[in-house]
Amino acid sequence: MVIDILVNGLVAGGIYAVLAVGFSLIFGVARIVNMAHTAFYMLTAYFIFVGTTMLNIPLVASLILAIILITIIGLICFKLFFDRVKQHETTVMIISVALAMLFQEILFLVFGGHYTGIPPLAKGFVDIASIRVSYQHIFAIVTTGLILLGLWLLLSKTGLGKAIRAVSQDREIANLMGINVNQIFLIVMGISVALAGLAGAVIAPIYMVSPLMWIQPLTIVLASVVLGGLGSVGGCVVGALILGYTEIIVTFLVPGGASLRGAVSMSIMVVVLLVRPEGLFGVAFEEERL
Amino acid sequence: MQLKVDNLTVLYDRAMVLNKVGLVVEEGEMVSLVGPNGAGKTTLLRAVAGLVKWEKESLKGTVGGKITLKGEVEFGRENISRLRAHEIVRRGLVLCPERGRPFREMNVRENLEVGAHLCTDKGAIEESLQKVFQLFPVLEKRQNQISGTISGGERTMLAIGRCLMAQAKFLLIDEPSVGLAPLVKEHLFDRIKDVHGMGITILLTEQDISFAFDLATRHYVLSQGQMMAQGSAEELLADEVVRQSYLGL
Repeated sequence: MVIDILVNGLVAGGIYAVLAVGFSLIFGVARIVNMAHTAFYMLTAYFIFVGTTMLNIPLVASLILAIILITIIGLICFKLFFDRVKQHETTVMIISVALAMLFQEILFLVFGGHYTGIPPLAKGFVDIASIRVSYQHIFAIVTTGLILLGLWLLLSKTGLGKAIRAVSQDREIANLMGINVNQIFLIVMGISVALAGLAGAVIAPIYMVSPLMWIQPLTIVLASVVLGGLGSVGGCVVGALILGYTEIIVTFLVPGGASLRGAVSMSIMVVVLLVRPEGLFGVAFEEERL
Repeated sequence: MQLKVDNLTVLYDRAMVLNKVGLVVEEGEMVSLVGPNGAGKTTLLRAVAGLVKWEKESLKGTVGGKITLKGEVEFGRENISRLRAHEIVRRGLVLCPERGRPFREMNVRENLEVGAHLCTDKGAIEESLQKVFQLFPVLEKRQNQISGTISGGERTMLAIGRCLMAQAKFLLIDEPSVGLAPLVKEHLFDRIKDVHGMGITILLTEQDISFAFDLATRHYVLSQGQMMAQGSAEELLADEVVRQSYLGL
């Protein structure tokens, strides 16, 4: 049981973390609240489904193709829908909801509403303390860990990462230091959607694939982001892990917990925000009057 | 390189901020732009650096984006009024904003490294970093401190250092002395002189007339968006109208 909770919590928390980081990045840098973020994750799962079961493309190739394809679609959506209205934050948010609905309806039309599945990348399992852990779960944990590590290295060690952080902290000054802000927006949108795609690719073989699979993770992503502290990339990872573990613990330990898990996670978020309104790791620099 | 501003007009919605303003700064000069609060000094620097144009584009469709921008800016014989802010920096014309505005969640060193964004040569970046540390030893001491927590004077020094990291040949400094204690002000005064001594041309705005007059060799007087007078400190002080109406001395 303990191992089960540990492993499943890490998988759920890790996936939420990858999703939340992508959401938080594009919000922090371009102030775009992209409610279609998890719809991109859903689309990736469907692309892999189509690639493997309909077009008979090998699984690994389908994964890579799906992530490339979703990144391109994400960038096109950014250019077509977000870029020209990005100064109106609420408009962007509403457009992104519309976009997510559009994707959902298209999937309903094409694939119908039933659940589908994707074969695992790594078949088989390993026994850890007499508990069976499938390779796919281990693969998911390792991959999400590597993605988060890679992203941390990118943001803290590279010139591009510093430019991205500079834009998120003060666009105008970043511009003054020779950073092409619009180009950074585009790059970060690409990274953000690619992260959603990666999460979809890792999770598709574990969870069920359906045209409604974007809604539940979106709630968790929004909750992780405010729980961790708006704009703090590290904070939303912690937030996502807390919520991921909460879900799994409730599912395992509370009778009938599967239907309660969302409610418990959200209650935790509300309580934390009541005690610490800026979130766990929110930076609250006093705004300076200029 | 010479900076030439011609007929620069800026309106925020219907409020005239700059009205057909012109000025020339020759290579190697240190020139100041003085005038009361709200005269348009900051807007002039922002327009030269391409920020007004950027503001207009990025706020298009909102009230803040209703900006009219007319006039020509030439830098080293090249017309830069159509260029974007990040392209202007590449030419060596860099704006140091009021109160420094560091990237507050980054440490001092990272701030300086962002300044060197356009430079890809690691050796050259390290070299300019050492130069900045030599000029402002306090920044070296504070290099690992989060820049949201350093003092006002240090912020301004950090901002000037960041511009030097961007290989500035021409520095626009907005209100360097604002809000600083007298001793810090004096220190900064000497450092700006040092920067000028490094062969960097400087145009700065100031509310503190005596700070500006001691520092720069030539001055422009701006009031309510119009260029009222120009000349050396002696010339301006000799003119009774300018002295009383605009300098308040």
